[in-house]
Amino acid sequence: MIKQPLYIRIGLALYLFMFFTYLIGPLILMSITAFNSASFPQITPWEVLTFEWFPKLFSDDRILRGLKYSLYVGFFTVILSVSMGLAGALMLTQIWPKLRSTYYTIIIAPILVPGVVIGISTLVFWAEINRILGFSADSYLQNGIFLSVLGQSTFIASYCMLVFVARLQRYDTGLTEAALDLGATHLQAFRRIQLPFLAPAMASSSVLAFLASFENYNTTIFTHQKFATLTIVLSQKVRYGIDPTISALAFIIVCLTVLGALIHEVRTRRVQLALANGAPVGAVTGGFKAPKFFAGNPAAVVLGLFVGAAVLIIGFAQVYDPAPAKQAYTDQKRAIQKKAIEAIQQKARDKVRERQMKGPKVFETKKGTGTGSPGKDSFGSVFKPNNLDEAAGTKKKKPVGVNPGKGAFGNIWKSDNLDKVAPKEKGN
Amino acid sequence: MLTNYFKTNGMVMGWGLLLLVFFWIVILIILPQIYMFNLSFHPHLPPPEMGGPKDFLTLENYRYLVFGADGNPDGYNKVDLLVFIRTLTAAAFVTILDLFLCYPIAYYLGQSTGGGFVRILVLLLIIPYWINEILRAFAFKIIFGDSGVINEFLMFFSVIDSPIDFIRANVALYAGLGYAYILLMIFPMYNVIESLDRNQIEAARDMGAPWWMIHKRIVIPYAKPGISSGCTMVFMLSAGALAAPQILGGPSSLWFTQLVYQWFNTGGNWPQASAYAIILLLACLVIVLSVMKLFKVNMGDIGK
Amino acid sequence: MSSGVAVDLQDMWIKFGDFVAVRDANVHINGGDFFSFLGGSGCGKTTILRAVSGFLEPADGKILIGGNDMKGKGPNERPTALIFQNLALFPLMKVWENITFSMEVRGASAGERRKRADELLDMIALSDQGDKLPSELSGGQKQRVAIARALCAEPDVLLLDEPLSALDLGLRHHMRTELREIQKRVGITFIYITHDQGEALTMSDNVAVMRTAVIDQIGSGKSVYDDPSTSFVASFVGMNNMFRGKVKSISKGQALVETNRTGNLLARITTGATGKLAVGDDAMVFIRPEGLHIAEKSAKSNTRIKANVRHSEFEGTSYNVFLEGDAGKEMKMSLVNRGEARLYEPGAELTLQFDATQAVVVPAGELASE
Repeated sequence: MIKQPLYIRIGLALYLFMFFTYLIGPLILMSITAFNSASFPQITPWEVLTFEWFPKLFSDDRILRGLKYSLYVGFFTVILSVSMGLAGALMLTQIWPKLRSTYYTIIIAPILVPGVVIGISTLVFWAEINRILGFSADSYLQNGIFLSVLGQSTFIASYCMLVFVARLQRYDTGLTEAALDLGATHLQAFRRIQLPFLAPAMASSSVLAFLASFENYNTTIFTHQKFATLTIVLSQKVRYGIDPTISALAFIIVCLTVLGALIHEVRTRRVQLALANGAPVGAVTGGFKAPKFFAGNPAAVVLGLFVGAAVLIIGFAQVYDPAPAKQAYTDQKRAIQKKAIEAIQQKARDKVRERQMKGPKVFETKKGTGTGSPGKDSFGSVFKPNNLDEAAGTKKKKPVGVNPGKGAFGNIWKSDNLDKVAPKEKGN
Repeated sequence: MLTNYFKTNGMVMGWGLLLLVFFWIVILIILPQIYMFNLSFHPHLPPPEMGGPKDFLTLENYRYLVFGADGNPDGYNKVDLLVFIRTLTAAAFVTILDLFLCYPIAYYLGQSTGGGFVRILVLLLIIPYWINEILRAFAFKIIFGDSGVINEFLMFFSVIDSPIDFIRANVALYAGLGYAYILLMIFPMYNVIESLDRNQIEAARDMGAPWWMIHKRIVIPYAKPGISSGCTMVFMLSAGALAAPQILGGPSSLWFTQLVYQWFNTGGNWPQASAYAIILLLACLVIVLSVMKLFKVNMGDIGK
Repeated sequence: MSSGVAVDLQDMWIKFGDFVAVRDANVHINGGDFFSFLGGSGCGKTTILRAVSGFLEPADGKILIGGNDMKGKGPNERPTALIFQNLALFPLMKVWENITFSMEVRGASAGERRKRADELLDMIALSDQGDKLPSELSGGQKQRVAIARALCAEPDVLLLDEPLSALDLGLRHHMRTELREIQKRVGITFIYITHDQGEALTMSDNVAVMRTAVIDQIGSGKSVYDDPSTSFVASFVGMNNMFRGKVKSISKGQALVETNRTGNLLARITTGATGKLAVGDDAMVFIRPEGLHIAEKSAKSNTRIKANVRHSEFEGTSYNVFLEGDAGKEMKMSLVNRGEARLYEPGAELTLQFDATQAVVVPAGELASE
């Protein structure tokens, strides 16, 4: 490659830096707010490092219920859309050439149709079916999970289909014929020959389908009925009243995503490296040797660091007790507030005095007090109602999160945590 | 012909495949759309009156978008029409923004030799895409809010005195929408550019072509299917976005999908919501198809 | 293993829509024969094989295997096993699993299968390779695994679709002998598809030569070579020099053909062409390169050809002389190197002679494309 002139390389570096700041920056900022004790997700003003939002998150019934519904919907959506996508892809290879492009357009269209449209059409259609069949309004056909699965599968199946088509293009139909010729039934040939060949595509389309289902909003908002999935719960929380538990959830999701991506990268890189070195396939899948594992595999190094950092943070969270710091912060804040109040009172007194002396110049001075002082950034949110709340020394939150003996994560890791929520669900 | 089909697949597999594809295409894709289309021509009635004498085909729901309720003094439904047009233009704006933002990176990644650094970059590209749509919007709310990072930052350095309302100015919305679909713009372009023979670029450079000429005459014509595929996806998805406008949109600027949502949930008027949904769908399709025709790109290139 | 199951194609037609892939095929294949279909690409020979193995249903006519009509039976219900052109070994299964796949689908236990796999691996001299994946084998080894896999199904008829075409020349020659030996050992009917006449002639008991969609001639390799029924077979199988002309007279199984440039030529009417030639008909005379000699004085004029040398090559055992033939076409003569033959200068005029029983005449018709 021809070496680029310096200014182009600097420009490129700058562009890459800005681009990835735009891409990653918001996620990092959002994650950081999960550790700020301020009751509104914010970075500035930074109050005190805390882990309290995590246990709070895990004791939030709506979120846990949403997670459960998301898992239900995701599970059935994966099954339905992977099988429909597979059938659609297999059909594409067999359909009459004349019909092929029409057929392809139809099964690819759901990707381009706005999710809102799919959501509405699914809901109104099944409501009508329900009416025609004379079922009651709360029959299974009107169940939020059922409708969400159908609505989401409509377009997620198209994604799956694309994955399968890409894989099938490399499939030799001669293999199926060979199996048939050796006496296998069609089902045996499919199960024993074609399905194993498609296994990687099955895996990736399942992951794809699950993630797409898990984060779907536009369709599910219309179809969910009483069963608000995690994404729906999140959107309601974000729209009406926010507290940093969402940041905590975001942090967890970011971490899981990064972890998943890294593991995937490490695995593919390992296979590639091994194959490049001419190792037989069997040697790639088994055995684990640390030095070899990291060699020439930057993602593996990052993964190692990542896991290390996670262990450190969790360990730190177990022993760290933000209460004293928080107390100190509160005291400090109260002191500042007190000072500010005193200052205001002083000013007021001064003003009164001034007014008594000079008369009309009141407003000017008042303005000066509000925004112009050097301590502006810490004063910025002093007058927010919730801040005053905290400053007033409300300790309501404390018992929930901060439990010095057990560590800040409290009982997140207890296995019965999810079950505790489950019984309440049965009513629904 | 069908006997041959069953011969290649066998009875069990053959019927299984047919059934699944039928279920998907007919029950999930076609019939709901047709029913919604049909519903959009019916008046809004309580269930017992459906199919009754008051249930007749009408264009009222479509008329409403253009002219508003009966006796509307303006003559036109200015609010909804404005929202409709603003949604489409804003979606086009977001698309163009993404295109300019992503073309260089797609070119850089596509033409690089693919070392460890590039692999990490690709990973970084993918990660935000798998974070929940709501959370991505939420992140931008944290950044652009009144007491968000940017305002606090600017005020700390005394660049501004009082917070700038990024939300009202729709900056947050455009940034969030552009952010949400970056990957869908990059990957189609990247896939195409990656297959471009590097020798072509070297040859052009050898003949003395400046860099912009190389892009104009070689890379962009070659990457056209990828570019149009990316633009189509980004346009359709941002025009159809609901979460980002709900979270990041200012109080005065509605997105068309929000109107649909309001008719549906708040108003409970399904036929009216259906009509609006149909209009959104048709408008998007018409725009995308005409742009594709203009640039001579096939449907088959989409989704690669 | 059962041996000697005959295969019959009766008035068989195969169509794809309006396109006729095979026209009215009538073939009887003796039980235990090594039978080849020889033809160029796209002539329909693979289509016939796919019909026999059950992947295609004939539009008309019958396929009998061991006297049983195969109509409506799928590939998994027929006593045939097919070896694919690309072998179609299952890439994700080990070699031994590949070989015993037919037992697996019948529900045989793993131990049983392993035992049978070892026997077959011994037979194909790959005893210790059973646990490898097909991708780890060489081309010839894969070939043998494919054969073992087909034989494991204990078919009455083994069908082979150009299985040697992917191999390099040396291996191909070696595998010919090996295939023939395996066939003799197991004694079942082999149906072999190839476009390589060398393979067809050396291995087969009988050969069917196919023109586009039509079977022109069925017979032993020798009869196909020496006694072609049609101009296509004569021009397709082996090198041949062709002379166009009109039949001038017929007597005692021989015809005198009047050609434009070479004069009158006397040639034997082949068995397949007998009764199809009459005086005045367009005809084609074929003379093999090895049937041409430098003329002796005694040669009769109707077995003599004059031609100019274009160029010649020395091949060790023989000289090849290329001459300016009929209508500017190149003509080839092969002279055995007995010491007295020599290379001829380009431009030299030679008088050649041939034996009228070695020259054949058939009705004028389609030629194999060069």
